[in-house]
Amino acid sequence: MTEHAIQVDKLSKHFGDFIAVRDVSFHVERGEIFGYLGANGAGKSTTIRMLCGLLTPSGGHATVAGHDVASSALSVKSSIGYMSQKFSLYLELEAEHNLEFFAGIYGLYGKRLRHAIDEVVERTGLTEHKHAITSALPGGIRQRLALACSLIHKPAIVFLDEPTAGVDPASRRDFWRLIRELAGQGTTVFVTTHYMDEAEYCARIGLMVDGVLVALDTPEALKRTWVPGEALSIEGRDLHKATSAARALQGVRAAELFGARLHVRYADGVPIDRRVLTAALCSAGAQVEGMEPTEASLEDVFLAVARTSVQNQESA
Amino acid sequence: MGAFWQRVWALSAKEVRHVMRDPRTLYLALAMPIVMLLLFGFGVSFDLEHLPVTFVDQDHSTSSRELRQRLCAGDQFNDVGSWSTPSEAEARLVAGSAIAALIIPVNFERDLRRGRPIQLQLLVDGSDNSSALQVRAKMDASVRALGLSLASGGAAASTLTPPIEPRSWTRFNPEGRSAIYLVPGITALVLAIVAVLLTALTVSREWERGSMAQLFATPVGRLEIVLGKLLPYLLLGTLAVLLVLAVGSWVFNMPFRGSAPTLALVALLFLTGMLGQGLLVSVVARNQMVATQVATLSSMLPSLLLSGFVFPIANMPKPLQVISAVIPARYFIDALRGVLLRGNGFAELWHDAAALALFSALMVLMSTTRFRRTIA
Repeated sequence: MTEHAIQVDKLSKHFGDFIAVRDVSFHVERGEIFGYLGANGAGKSTTIRMLCGLLTPSGGHATVAGHDVASSALSVKSSIGYMSQKFSLYLELEAEHNLEFFAGIYGLYGKRLRHAIDEVVERTGLTEHKHAITSALPGGIRQRLALACSLIHKPAIVFLDEPTAGVDPASRRDFWRLIRELAGQGTTVFVTTHYMDEAEYCARIGLMVDGVLVALDTPEALKRTWVPGEALSIEGRDLHKATSAARALQGVRAAELFGARLHVRYADGVPIDRRVLTAALCSAGAQVEGMEPTEASLEDVFLAVARTSVQNQESA
Repeated sequence: MGAFWQRVWALSAKEVRHVMRDPRTLYLALAMPIVMLLLFGFGVSFDLEHLPVTFVDQDHSTSSRELRQRLCAGDQFNDVGSWSTPSEAEARLVAGSAIAALIIPVNFERDLRRGRPIQLQLLVDGSDNSSALQVRAKMDASVRALGLSLASGGAAASTLTPPIEPRSWTRFNPEGRSAIYLVPGITALVLAIVAVLLTALTVSREWERGSMAQLFATPVGRLEIVLGKLLPYLLLGTLAVLLVLAVGSWVFNMPFRGSAPTLALVALLFLTGMLGQGLLVSVVARNQMVATQVATLSSMLPSLLLSGFVFPIANMPKPLQVISAVIPARYFIDALRGVLLRGNGFAELWHDAAALALFSALMVLMSTTRFRRTIA
């Protein structure tokens, strides 16, 4: 049928009058890490649940691993792994018993079951935690166990719904190393997150705003398209007083506070004049202690996309 | 089909591990029925003893005094005084210090000697119907027996036999022990509550923790989940039945006169039905609090009130009789009494088994169809 691991065509989901997902279309290549970004309630989880056969689409089509999600949900479920937003393993059981359970559910038994468990335990680095009661495991290890459970049957595609929510940064890094290894071995990874630094790991990113897929590309291309031009990161004091002064300068596209720093972005092709900028900031009451060029982050992209769609809605 | 049972097995094995890790479930399933059986069995007794009885002796003879003494010699009656007129005795009933008054007429001794029929009048306080019934039955039996022995002490014993005399013989429970009557009912009641509670929590717990959503993302089917939840608790429930019957036999001397395979079949069907009812509650409620309350009410009240355990079904108003037809405990109690006391087998009890099989099938079917696979 299709060569793509996931093919989505005008997929929609309505809950009564509320449209959670509206005419979303995209595809995901085999072995790709596809990031699905958006604010809470933007329709990320609804999309994932439709792709996993947990929700029936109200409109449009989607095929996952070659199976239609609406008509062959069972075949879809056999060929995917799913890790839900809420931690949903059995806390009273040993880590290994959770793995055994999911292996059994996916139809493994006997030697194949033992082999699958040994393999996934080694791959996710859980060997020393095998016999621990799940509730006694720290958050990062639990997430890895949940991932291991969703990988036990070697699915072609895994759906990870905010897999690192509430996990410490070191564990998040470990987790993403696993995800990259997985994709390197040919597994397609569909992941939602609201950590922008994690999104940088994705080969391509789809951005959802209010149920609509408003942007879809590689992180670099998204930055070029949505946040063009060069930018300076300014260090100093009372920079908040100077935000509007910076915006008023000719050639400046945007000025935003990032923590204690002020980011000033120029329009595409406009050369940066540091002296003019410094003078403007100082006359507005701020003290400038240093400035350096900065790369656009996905956070900038996200803010730009969100701002544009708000403007679109207001003008519509 | 192989994959089907493979998944049911995985679900059951997981459930068994849960139970092994959670002593509360084991307590609920195995200890609670025993505790409740002992509490009910010893605590609830319908046997009345030392009933206060007052007398009006109008004969003042040796025989009338002897009747009075011998009536109150045992544990059944307590003599709370004698009066010369019926109205004085009746005042005792009104005051509540006596539950019955026996009036021994003039010429009691003479008629007894001559073998003439004698009519003793018994006034009974009918405000407590079940006590009144017992007093009448016990007084009737005692006076009849004593009358015979008093008369046979006299000269004209041979002429005593009345032309027609009904002689009742209570079979299966000749001593009228209430334990024998209560144990089957309590067994059904306790097992009904425990079985429904066991499964009512398992599914709602998975809903609450979100593991149900995870399950639905796997190829597992609704019927597989239902069976995977049912089978382990069926095993646990069977253990509970065996324990309760063993305790009933050792502690309360329950006989076991009928067919064990028939009882096993009926018990399995009853358990399946009640576990299925719990699953249905769980599937619909999705929340452990609500599930517990609905499960307790929906199992305890009907099994106690509409099963024929306390109130005979034949005495119920028609609408309640109709409702009682869908109460599984009714059939289980009937089968328990049948096998334990009447010595019944499958030939007598097949209709109980059929009713329970129908109920079980309905419960499994409804829990499966009401199980929504999608999550919002």
